[in-house]
Amino acid sequence: LSAGLVDEPIDVAAVERRVAAWRCGAVLLFLGTVRDRHQGRPVRLLTYTAYRPMALKTLKRITDELEAATQSLRVEIVHRLGDVPVGEASVLIAVASPHRQAAYEASREALERLKREVPIWKREHYDDGEVAWREEEPLGFVSRPF
Amino acid sequence: MKVVVVAFATASDVLGQDGVEVNLPEGSRVRDLGRALVERHPKLQPMWGRLAVAVDGELVGGGHPLEDGVEVALLPPVSGGSGA
Repeated sequence: LSAGLVDEPIDVAAVERRVAAWRCGAVLLFLGTVRDRHQGRPVRLLTYTAYRPMALKTLKRITDELEAATQSLRVEIVHRLGDVPVGEASVLIAVASPHRQAAYEASREALERLKREVPIWKREHYDDGEVAWREEEPLGFVSRPF
Repeated sequence: MKVVVVAFATASDVLGQDGVEVNLPEGSRVRDLGRALVERHPKLQPMWGRLAVAVDGELVGGGHPLEDGVEVALLPPVSGGSGA
């Protein structure tokens, strides 16, 4: 279906309407939300930034490949950017499928790939006022020019 | 030739959030750009080994030849999604 980057709260109902289809008996919505702590340290806010054109292209590649791999599967991924307060969703993965098993598998794979392949970064704002980038998964091809 | 370098996360703390233009000799490759950037911004040196590099949105290696006008992105390890 599609992939998107939004700067406001994710409209879950609109995405649900887009993925649903009469031939699909399963619609699976996964929301990744901002947790109130990182390794025990209280967090009040995350700021997400993206290399937008590449992030969009990569998200689209993930949804296209998941749909191509399984018949009748419909996938949409939406990632929110900017400041996301604790408790709100930073990512939505919506999958519709004739049967639930394929939907669970595709949803999991979409999130795993997103975390490894899409150029998006989060910055944590702690309760004590400190701020730090989180850098977790090296993108596939590391340059190492020296 | 001239390329535009954009940087993200910790790399943007060193290079700034807006793109920087870099002049390079004809025939330069990604690794030559790396050397030029580290000379100008020594703080990039320790992080360079962790960066992925994309040219016009596609990941490339250090030997990738650069052309005039391309956009080169410095991409630290990513952290999209949520903590879930």
